[in-house]
Amino acid sequence: MIHMRDVSKVYENGTVALDHVQVDIGKGEFVFIVGASGAGKSTFIKLLLREELPSGGSLIVNGRDVVHMERAEIPYLRRGLGVIFQDYRLLPDKTVFENVAFAMQVIEAPRRIMQRSVFSVLDVVGLRDKYDSFPSQLSGGEQQRVAIARAIVNNPAIVIADEPTGNLDPDTSWDIMDIFQRINKAGTTIVMATHDRNIVDTMKRRVIAIEDGRIVRDQARGGYGYEA
Amino acid sequence: MKLRTGEYFIQEVFRSLRRNNWMSFASVGTVTVSLFVLGVFLLLVMNMNRLASMLESEVQISVYLEGGIKAEARRDLQQDIVNMQGIETVKFVSREEAKQRLSERLGDQKYLLDALGDKNPLPDSFEVTVVHPDMVGTAADAIARMDGVESAKYGQDVVRHLFDITRLIRIFGLVLMLLLAGATLFIISNTIRLTVFARRKEIAIMKYVGATDWFIRWPFLMEGMVLGFIGGLLAAVALRSFYAAMAAKIYSTLAFFPLLPQYPFMNYVTAVILLSGMVIGAIGSTISLKRFLKV
Repeated sequence: MIHMRDVSKVYENGTVALDHVQVDIGKGEFVFIVGASGAGKSTFIKLLLREELPSGGSLIVNGRDVVHMERAEIPYLRRGLGVIFQDYRLLPDKTVFENVAFAMQVIEAPRRIMQRSVFSVLDVVGLRDKYDSFPSQLSGGEQQRVAIARAIVNNPAIVIADEPTGNLDPDTSWDIMDIFQRINKAGTTIVMATHDRNIVDTMKRRVIAIEDGRIVRDQARGGYGYEA
Repeated sequence: MKLRTGEYFIQEVFRSLRRNNWMSFASVGTVTVSLFVLGVFLLLVMNMNRLASMLESEVQISVYLEGGIKAEARRDLQQDIVNMQGIETVKFVSREEAKQRLSERLGDQKYLLDALGDKNPLPDSFEVTVVHPDMVGTAADAIARMDGVESAKYGQDVVRHLFDITRLIRIFGLVLMLLLAGATLFIISNTIRLTVFARRKEIAIMKYVGATDWFIRWPFLMEGMVLGFIGGLLAAVALRSFYAAMAAKIYSTLAFFPLLPQYPFMNYVTAVILLSGMVIGAIGSTISLKRFLKV
């Protein structure tokens, strides 16, 4: 699904965010990316989404060559990826249903499958009965579940989550992780950048630790590690 | 573009027109003013051109005779002209007849002539017609050199002046149009910029879920075009009543002026105005999208 070969990223101001990184992530894997702030986690995720271009190396995501990609191809790369952020990024003037349907609308998905698909992903995140609420009427955890529904409504091969539990209390965080586990069981690859030591240690999934732009650990059933 | 998508775009356009109502209003206003001015110049130039081409095809030469010419000399002169090559008819018009004709032509404003009292400023003249219009120039020059002839005028002289005036109007109109177009583009691109700003979160999400650049751009482009179209529509309506009023005025005072009839002429002008509005709107949005929408 994701193949990074010798990938480096040096920003214009000279900051080396990633330094010759090698990673292979296979179909159906559940991977945590851990590391201190500024270690390179965000850059890692931006490269996957082709928000940033690697300065060197090769990167294949979901069968597409991200480095040599035409601009016009970027949207099609992203249609195969579901993205979730720490701050949910819902549209406040749209209902839960509309927020999820929006993701289908903008890729011109057929209208007849829209309603069915939206309700089916709202079932997955357990918010079918709140389809008509506005984001402001929901708790943080519920808002993040809407964001997850939006990320998976177009059946992406990979779900990429950047600190999805960063704004949530521990109990709510576990609700979110349950949903991710279910999505992962259905065959979707999940890449999650996180600071949440408790979650990483408990889940016992593959852990990739980044420090100063390098991968310092890649462990099949790892924990968060010792650093704070 | 799918039907569903078209619907979505239209919804977005009207949502943002409402949201930016003051800026939208200002945009429509400037488009209206600019296109109205464009329209007025269009009307002027088109009518001048028509007048010029009508005068140009006028094959008649007016030969004005020197004052105090003897009747005999006049008859000889008439014979000389008739004997020239390519001359069809030569008709004598006495000063009295000329005055009578002018008075008829002035109609309501006959009093202008009455003010002269018994004086008649008009000379005796011949009306000479030629067989082929392209011979008018040479014939007129030849006649003008004859004894007893004061001058020989034909349409071409007037046409030349008319063309000079038309050219001035065109240049002035063009300069004014460019300035107004600049102002219009500025206002429209600012309106679209506000829309882009108001929708920046949506745009970010659209990019993440894989909307194409054009899918993101279309609603903004359409908004600009709608602003331009509405402005054009208002300008066209104003222009139609303006031309109707002008036509009524001209018919009652300058009845002989060959004004272009309102239809289908005004339909053509309307089409030009609406199209220009939409083009200006589209260009205005494009400027804004280039600068503010990093898709």
